[in-house]
Amino acid sequence: MTKTKNKPKTGSCRTVSSIFANKTVAARQQQKISVTISGSSKTLQALTSAAVVLPGLLLPTVQAADGDHINFQFSRYQEGKRNLFGLPNSQNPIRADVLHGSGLFTLTDRAKFSFGYTQDIWSGATPITTTPLAANPYSPILKNTPEGVAVSGASPLLNPDNVFLDRDLNFIRSDTGEQDLRSVLVLSSASPETRNQANFRLSYEWDEAEINAGAGFSLERDYRSSFGSLGGRLDFNQKLTSVKFGVGYTSSSISAILDHDAAPYLTKTAFDSQIERREDGAEILRAERQDWAANLGLTQVLTKYALIDANLGYTYGNGYLENPYKAVTTIFVDPDVLNNGLTTPVLGDVRALLEQRPNQRSQWAFSTKYIQHVNPLDAALHLNYRFSTDDWGINTNTFSANWIQPLPGGWTLTPRIRYYSQDAADFYQPYLITQQNFSTQAVDNLGREVWVDSNNPEIEYVRDENFNLLDSEGNIVNVSDVQPKTIPFDAGKLPDDFSSDHRLAGFGALSGGVTLRKQFARGITLEAGFEYYTRASSLKLGSDGGNSFADFDYYVANAALILNLENMRLSGSSGHTHQHAHSGKNSTSANMHHHSQPAGLMFAHMLDDAGEFMLGYRFMYSRMAGSMLHGTSAVSDPAIVNQGCGTENLCTFRPADMDMRMHMLDIMYAPTRWLNLMLMPRFMDMEMNLRELDGRLPAPAEEHKHFGGHATGVIGDTLIVSLFKLYEKTGHRLHAGLGISAPTGKSDLQFRRVFKIDGGSVHFGMQLGSGTWDFVPSLTYTGDYNRWSWGAQVSGVKRMENRNESGYRLGDQFQATSWGGYGLTRWLTASVRGVYTLQDRIHGDFNSFNARIGPMDFPKNYGGQFWNVGFGVNAVIPDGRFAGHHFGFEWLQPVHTDVNGFQLDRKGALTASWSYRF
Amino acid sequence: MTLNMKLKRLFVILFIVLLGTAISGCAHVPVWERGHLAKPQMAIDPYPLQNHILLHNYSSREAAASTHSSGTGGGCGCY
Repeated sequence: MTKTKNKPKTGSCRTVSSIFANKTVAARQQQKISVTISGSSKTLQALTSAAVVLPGLLLPTVQAADGDHINFQFSRYQEGKRNLFGLPNSQNPIRADVLHGSGLFTLTDRAKFSFGYTQDIWSGATPITTTPLAANPYSPILKNTPEGVAVSGASPLLNPDNVFLDRDLNFIRSDTGEQDLRSVLVLSSASPETRNQANFRLSYEWDEAEINAGAGFSLERDYRSSFGSLGGRLDFNQKLTSVKFGVGYTSSSISAILDHDAAPYLTKTAFDSQIERREDGAEILRAERQDWAANLGLTQVLTKYALIDANLGYTYGNGYLENPYKAVTTIFVDPDVLNNGLTTPVLGDVRALLEQRPNQRSQWAFSTKYIQHVNPLDAALHLNYRFSTDDWGINTNTFSANWIQPLPGGWTLTPRIRYYSQDAADFYQPYLITQQNFSTQAVDNLGREVWVDSNNPEIEYVRDENFNLLDSEGNIVNVSDVQPKTIPFDAGKLPDDFSSDHRLAGFGALSGGVTLRKQFARGITLEAGFEYYTRASSLKLGSDGGNSFADFDYYVANAALILNLENMRLSGSSGHTHQHAHSGKNSTSANMHHHSQPAGLMFAHMLDDAGEFMLGYRFMYSRMAGSMLHGTSAVSDPAIVNQGCGTENLCTFRPADMDMRMHMLDIMYAPTRWLNLMLMPRFMDMEMNLRELDGRLPAPAEEHKHFGGHATGVIGDTLIVSLFKLYEKTGHRLHAGLGISAPTGKSDLQFRRVFKIDGGSVHFGMQLGSGTWDFVPSLTYTGDYNRWSWGAQVSGVKRMENRNESGYRLGDQFQATSWGGYGLTRWLTASVRGVYTLQDRIHGDFNSFNARIGPMDFPKNYGGQFWNVGFGVNAVIPDGRFAGHHFGFEWLQPVHTDVNGFQLDRKGALTASWSYRF
Repeated sequence: MTLNMKLKRLFVILFIVLLGTAISGCAHVPVWERGHLAKPQMAIDPYPLQNHILLHNYSSREAAASTHSSGTGGGCGCY
């Protein structure tokens, strides 16, 4: 994991400018007019005020972000491979998937509430330090192939063998004896890591002012922070000028589990007091930091075609500003050897020290944006410039330009380009060379070597010229468990601060991209963007940064769905009228009928009218914990050790608990009354903690250690389903669903290499998708009478391929469920249902290495028969601003479980759903 | 450091000058002539969702300070 110095921008809120303020007024006036026209007497007043904001009224209501809206966004960040100077790089570069949902709701005429939720999952190789290439910091990974031994990758070494230097301290290659001044990044890869962030904001608006307050938190395994902010806006000069201001505070606490692959080779003496050593051997660095930020901004309308926005920002950080996962390679050269008058190369002792940064930082930034409307094309040109400086010596310049081109049919195309350049921090050094020994043998005042008792370093001995050990009283002793007493290097001879994090180096970056946006009818907007970014030391303004070894590139792709609730309501109202007219006196019961299916049930209802849309979101959480089951009964650890992993292996670990969270979008469209089409992308994250089994065999020295559990995410398989109405009569309906599940989720996730051992495939149950194309049929009957509703469904999953790319296939599934519901009020329904699920075991097996440490790594330990009872409530908001929104909750309680093989017991599953038809 | 101080002073002055010109001068644009300004492409942040992602990536890869750090989030930025 690598920590940034800047807090990431994860809030969903946007700066409000005078232009938006104008629009808000316009929107409000628009509402006023519709009210007036529909029967009020203040027509004249409304029309008069409408005249003032006429330009706003003439606009298409495209501003999805202004009115009430809900956003979903998925983005992927993918880095290219780093340059290792011809060394085979077998580590996957960094990839991060970010899932984001946010919304803004008007509470009263003037008060607004917005919230955001962001989940990042990332994995891949990140630099730990920079080392002279001459020190050979990678050792080849050899693999046996039919053609003989081949190099399949390179394993990073933090403390490689010694390096040779000439008398001017230039590095020399050990093989050719030639000078080699190149440096190389030492990479270490990480298993998937998750970050969750939630934030909210309240704002209150007057005609010419706004205040807002926000807060949130961000949680990671090793980094937790919480933050709050206050801000506001004042409009002057008939809203031609707006002044914005804000202050924010962030408090973070770090508890970094030092890379267990790297920790033994790191020199951590500077942070000894902050490092806690856990029983299982993990080393945890604990620290705190605080950040304060303030900004002041101005938006000014220049002409009727142009405006300018200028901002000044100040940030002050205090505390542990280091990145706990970054080290600086330090070469220790013995000064006695260096100055012995010879000219032969000297040896340097290569070590890695945890980086040390100043414990405070002040940053200033000034940014300005000029926006010009280009009349002939109706386009807008955005020009940005930002300058920032800080007391670490980093000055930066950023230039960017966007061209926003509206096109016919609701499309908008935006190409953009950006150039960035920064100076290096004062304390940035790719590596350090220090003229002292890493450690020296202690000697007493007579020049005799000092030795200590290995078990108690307090007990000292001296070794005389005859190699006898003498105790403090000068008696010869005969002890064997002794070691030389060493004196560590003098940290005072090193700089106060040093970092080789290439983000603090001098470099330039060029990036460019394009965004395509399509505005559909009924308030739906889709957005897709792509950006390519390339970092190069040579792109730095002025002179080359001299660190081309750290150059890299990445791309970011994102796709977003924006739902403008106000527009949906506007278009939805006519649809509702139609529906009422159509279904006549049954409309109430029909409505109830639609919304009485338990939330955890899929494919259970159809839209009524051709042309109707439904958008939904479903969150599912399930937990497994408690005993291990064999069939229907709990089993003891020794039984798992001996039988859970087959005849050749013995189990060493078992799952202690497993949590699965799934976010599912539900997009449904009715081209005709008898056919509905559904698209359901799924996003999920899973977390599993393991426990060592009692009675297992003793661990071999090289065992794959599990610190803190595993996590995976985020794209799951995508469902594409069509529903066909088969039979419909008052109170009874029957429909069939034919669906396929596309293997968009990964089924070949791997653990990172640890201690020179491949981690192997992640457990079957933690893979994100089936890896096969699956057939998903269903048949649903629903009925209703007065306040009662009921239904039954059979559904299945049939894998249409024999094996996925990883060599196995999940078992087929059959499910039968039946439910009954009762309308407690006009808008609230309670339901009870029973569910039976039959799931086959996994067939085939991983075709790549799998550590096989526990029952979860064996195909036979999957599937079984499961009985659940579900308790649910459903609400359809009858009126008010959320009229027509449907919310559902259901808890599935396991009542009977009969597993194949050995599996962890189930604790239950929760489903929460939201949907809206229009 | 002295260069830094100079630069800091320079842009504080620049900011004040900009602020001054802005408030005192500029053509007066009547409300009924602001149609173009109110178009979505003229919004200061026309793509807030995507911008948020891009800024997140820049801030995790670059050492620059931000002018909007007060109202945003925490967290480590990770990659």
